[in-house]
Amino acid sequence: MSDTPNAPGESAPRPTPRGAGKAVPIFSFGRVTTIAASTVTQLVRMKTFYFLLAFALVVVAVGNFNIPATPAKELSMIKKVAFGTMDIFAWLFAIVATALLIPKDVEDRTLYTILSKPVRRIEYLLGKLGGVLSVIAISLVAMYAICALMIFSRESLYLSAEYDSMKASAQYTEGEIQEQLSLIRQQGLRAELGIAVLASFFKASVVAAVTIFLSTFASSSLFTIIVSILLFLIGHAHHMASSFWLDESGNSVFVQMLVKVIKILIPNYQLFSFSEGIVQGEAVVSALVWQMGGLTAGYLVVFLLLSLLVFVDKEF
Amino acid sequence: MKRLFQKVPRLLLVVLGLAVFGLVRAPVEDDLRERLVAANLLLPPPAQGAFDQMSQSALMGTLGGLRSLVATYLTLNAFEHFSTKSWDELRANYLIITNLEPRDESHWVSVIWHLGINATANMEIDTRLPAFERERRFKEYAFQAIDFAERGIAQLPESSAIRLQVAEVYREKLKDDCATARVYGEIVGLPGAPGYARRFYGYFMARCPGREQEAYDYLTALYREGEPQRLPTLIKEIKNLEGKLAIPSPRRIPDGDPDRRPQKASKKPANALPGGIVVP
Repeated sequence: MSDTPNAPGESAPRPTPRGAGKAVPIFSFGRVTTIAASTVTQLVRMKTFYFLLAFALVVVAVGNFNIPATPAKELSMIKKVAFGTMDIFAWLFAIVATALLIPKDVEDRTLYTILSKPVRRIEYLLGKLGGVLSVIAISLVAMYAICALMIFSRESLYLSAEYDSMKASAQYTEGEIQEQLSLIRQQGLRAELGIAVLASFFKASVVAAVTIFLSTFASSSLFTIIVSILLFLIGHAHHMASSFWLDESGNSVFVQMLVKVIKILIPNYQLFSFSEGIVQGEAVVSALVWQMGGLTAGYLVVFLLLSLLVFVDKEF
Repeated sequence: MKRLFQKVPRLLLVVLGLAVFGLVRAPVEDDLRERLVAANLLLPPPAQGAFDQMSQSALMGTLGGLRSLVATYLTLNAFEHFSTKSWDELRANYLIITNLEPRDESHWVSVIWHLGINATANMEIDTRLPAFERERRFKEYAFQAIDFAERGIAQLPESSAIRLQVAEVYREKLKDDCATARVYGEIVGLPGAPGYARRFYGYFMARCPGREQEAYDYLTALYREGEPQRLPTLIKEIKNLEGKLAIPSPRRIPDGDPDRRPQKASKKPANALPGGIVVP
């Protein structure tokens, strides 16, 4: 409010709109969060979480397979199927959801509304990626909870049955019974399994970053999905396949070059499959987990920057 | 700079970015891969033989990072073969499974159990086959189980579960007490070895011709460890050895033969009166 009265004949000044004249910050976490939150809502409305029902059914079915195996083997099977399914869900969802988001925003014309406001394109990309990763994280946590419940209930059942049968046979000392029970516990619910979930999340994050990069220049969602899945398969197999190719070609220079080009251009997804070892009961090396986290962050930053390079002056 | 940025084709910049990132990350990833494999968190590529035997879908699954799921599917498939007693197909399945997940102890234990116990038991009772063929296959399955055990132990040298399972094959099917004792002897001292392995080592050593004295010394040492080890079978084995080795009475253990029931007190005659007076 000004202290000086208006001169006669001058009209009263119109109140300025809130925030007008203020410089728009180059980057705002608030805007990124808003876009991420709307992406989560968008994905939830696509009935994404119905997958959890199918997952629960798979876990319950595997938990009730009546095969003649030791309790440790049965627990191991439940874990492998549950974590394998989690892994598939995470990377497949990362591909499909990310591939659909930008084209859907163009189709619904939401993208024009967003980009006509003071929203940087990097904020838009980050928000979209953040939204997809949030849904993946929530789903993985929910799936882990279902899986943990199943493992815990089966483990308790096996432990009491094993204890009763060993006690009844009267051939074993208390110490020996406890040793046997600890073998079952090794395949049961352990805190390390949480790291296996994190490994699946790392893999899904890299897949989502690569897919968002592809979707910035792809002409259709279908193209993005197909190419992303192909890249995923090649990224998984190239380490295994390259030694065979080289072997069969007698280490030809052409094959060597091809293997190097693939290695440089396509992410090594197989590296992110370290959840398999954890699920099998191997000890977790925390330094390696941190380094894998760092590598994931590296992939996210680089692929987001590359996406921005394509997306920054793209006309819609 | 901005003009240069606009002039250079965007695709070229993207490929350049990808290549630079690829060159930077490749040595880091190679190092990480080596350390993850050394920590057993990442599995090394399966042997080429495994790829040759896989079906197309299993191969795709394995290459696509679904190694655990493919192994689990094949385990269920192997169970199907167990139900139909198709032992050769079961063995083929486990050849792939153990190549896919060589560090999963339970696969080795299962295949030894299936071939060494179930398949051999089937050969003992399958009357559709002539006796000589059943005997040939019995031995073939038992030795296939032992072969799997050797490969499993090479992968997991500290596994007591694999050794316990193969010991059962030697003990129950091949009736080879010396080999059984050898395997139980290997188990003693391994991490996670069950406490009874020490006693079983002694029991089967006692039945191995030529090792009776060694077995006697070993079992009496266990006996002297105290009450928890003085189980009826241990006492019985020591008693047997005392007889075989003609151990002098003062050096024998004081326990009675656990198989010999204490004699019941003689029933009082019906005509006995209180005070021991018998009415004729």
